[in-house]
Amino acid sequence: MIWTIARKELTELSRDGRFRLLAAVILLLAVASTAAGWLQFTAVSRQHAEAQRETREQWLNQKEKNPHSAAHYGMYAFKPASHLSIVDTGLDPYLGVAVWLEAHRQSEMKFRPAQDRTAVQRFGDLNGAEVLLVLVPLFILLVTFPVFAAEREQGTLRQLLSLGVPPRVLVAGKALGTLAGVGLVIVPVAALVALALGWASAGSYLAADASRTLALGATCLLYFLVVTGIGLAVSAWAPSSRVALVLLLGFWFATSLVAPRIAADVAASRYPTPNAAEFQRALDAELNDPEEARQRMATLQKETMARYNVTSLDALPVAFSGISLQSGEEHGNEVFDRHFGRLHDQFSAQARFFQWAGVASPLLAARSLSMALAGTDFEQHRHFARAAEEYRRDIQRTLNDDIARNQRAGQPYLAGSELWNRVPDFTYDAPSIGWVLGRQSTALAVLAGWGLLAAGLALLAARRLTSHLG
Amino acid sequence: MLEALHLTKRYGATTALDDLTLTVAPGDVFCLLGANGAGKTTTINLFLNFIEPTDGQALVNGIDVTRSPLESKRYLAYIPETVMLYRNLTGLENLEYFAALAGSTDLSRASLLAVLARVGLPAEAADRRVGGYSKGMRQKVGIAIAVAKGARALLLDEPTSGLDPKASNEFSELLRQVSGEGVAVLMATHDLFRAKESGTRVGIMKRGRLVALHGTDEFSHADLERLYLEHMHD
Repeated sequence: MIWTIARKELTELSRDGRFRLLAAVILLLAVASTAAGWLQFTAVSRQHAEAQRETREQWLNQKEKNPHSAAHYGMYAFKPASHLSIVDTGLDPYLGVAVWLEAHRQSEMKFRPAQDRTAVQRFGDLNGAEVLLVLVPLFILLVTFPVFAAEREQGTLRQLLSLGVPPRVLVAGKALGTLAGVGLVIVPVAALVALALGWASAGSYLAADASRTLALGATCLLYFLVVTGIGLAVSAWAPSSRVALVLLLGFWFATSLVAPRIAADVAASRYPTPNAAEFQRALDAELNDPEEARQRMATLQKETMARYNVTSLDALPVAFSGISLQSGEEHGNEVFDRHFGRLHDQFSAQARFFQWAGVASPLLAARSLSMALAGTDFEQHRHFARAAEEYRRDIQRTLNDDIARNQRAGQPYLAGSELWNRVPDFTYDAPSIGWVLGRQSTALAVLAGWGLLAAGLALLAARRLTSHLG
Repeated sequence: MLEALHLTKRYGATTALDDLTLTVAPGDVFCLLGANGAGKTTTINLFLNFIEPTDGQALVNGIDVTRSPLESKRYLAYIPETVMLYRNLTGLENLEYFAALAGSTDLSRASLLAVLARVGLPAEAADRRVGGYSKGMRQKVGIAIAVAKGARALLLDEPTSGLDPKASNEFSELLRQVSGEGVAVLMATHDLFRAKESGTRVGIMKRGRLVALHGTDEFSHADLERLYLEHMHD
């Protein structure tokens, strides 16, 4: 019986001109955004691969020079774009995807296209995830609002219920039919995305990517079910289809347009972060404290002489300059860990707040999951920044150790390609899906809660279907 | 087949239906007459369990409609003033859908077409969308749904109002056929002529009460009209 109802809904939908028009628009937007995402992905990942290779070649082909000059020479590390960033670019445009690695400094990530944009452009961002998570739900609501309300108005609901159709079966059939109608749009889009992903990865579709893609699909499906359930419930409760439409558009407006902005403001005021200039000033003040430097240097000299059992720095079997440079690095690292740690903790807190804000708007929970699965959320940004910073520290340690070991007092010391080769190429492994979902447990729970709520509302609405008939 | 026992419906202080007791046996065509607001539609809505009785019972085939709302509907078919159909579906598709939901198992195109032919729907109309159907055609599809369902009781709420005389006559003819097969019919109507023509019994209702109950063979059409007007007169 459920199938009969679903099939009839689908037949009616497919004959409805408004539905066809809406479906065509959504399809077009989805195709355009996927194509744009794919072009962006292929261009950017090619540029990154090239830049990464160049930066490595430049490093290896350095002339003979003092290792500390090489340390200042520096290099770029690029966050590899996940294939799913075709669908959801997430925070990447805001946080950047490349980091400059050099002596003495942990840098902020660079290449933030959002920096160069005007405020207007932010709204015009055609991201696959925006189409999926914002426009498709609008489409679902436009399809579901008349499902019961219009049948009640036309009198077909009386006809149906006079046949002895259990209201619950009716709701289930309607839900299925509506979803099938939405599926008419989503399935081609999903196929297109899969094709784009397959193409972008040149056939080498990684198992990790596949599980992330499936999880992203499941997230979207769950979110669509939530929206469908709410749409059907309101359609069954509302006294007329016009009221249902107004209520559902209000719901969409509040959860998709208003809630994200309010959540962003609340997150920023509850977990404030310093602006770039303030942050830099505080960092510099602590890094360049002359008193601290003098004391540290005095202690370091004493300790080093004691360790080698000598009474003057000149008698050391190693170059003190290398040891002193490394000490400066380690002091800096400790300061960076504290300052960046504090900053990143605030960003993490903001991101967690967004997951909780999903209680007010399921879109926020779905979006948090979507970005996380696409590898473009803050936690994975931080994971990459951490890995790049570790790499930077390894390079500095390798170079400083080399200076300590090989430099002789009063003589210039030049190292060559043997040392450059000892610094490994930068490789980065993105975290596993388990790691990702573990950090999204709030969003998962909140979205699941919305699923239960929507199902409950739809069932309650089913019981109300028989009222207002007399 | 249809039985009302002291059936009462009150909305606050107003009594829409007051202690109605009647029985419609298989083959009976019981016509409820009365002014608007006399309680005819309330009676039908109570049998459909679209509203809950304040008192008393409505039984379909001996089954209490409030206690077993789904089971009691297995025997019922309902035809309102205008049979409401899905305008984007064809007549055949509408029939197929409603018949399927009513639990019919034989949904082959041939047998559905046979049902539509039996109720007199032009063959060429079966595959047209009902958006363009006349009211008479819709009423025929309504009867077709009842036939396909194998309903044993029909609840009709002013099914012929607004039909042209020919369509109205065809409809009455169909009703006679269906009741001839042992279906119990309860029909609310304003049409005294139709009531006399196709009814076996008439009940006159006034302010929720059944004030008169007669067999249609007891008098002529003119007598029925006089009787009706007498009751309507305060």
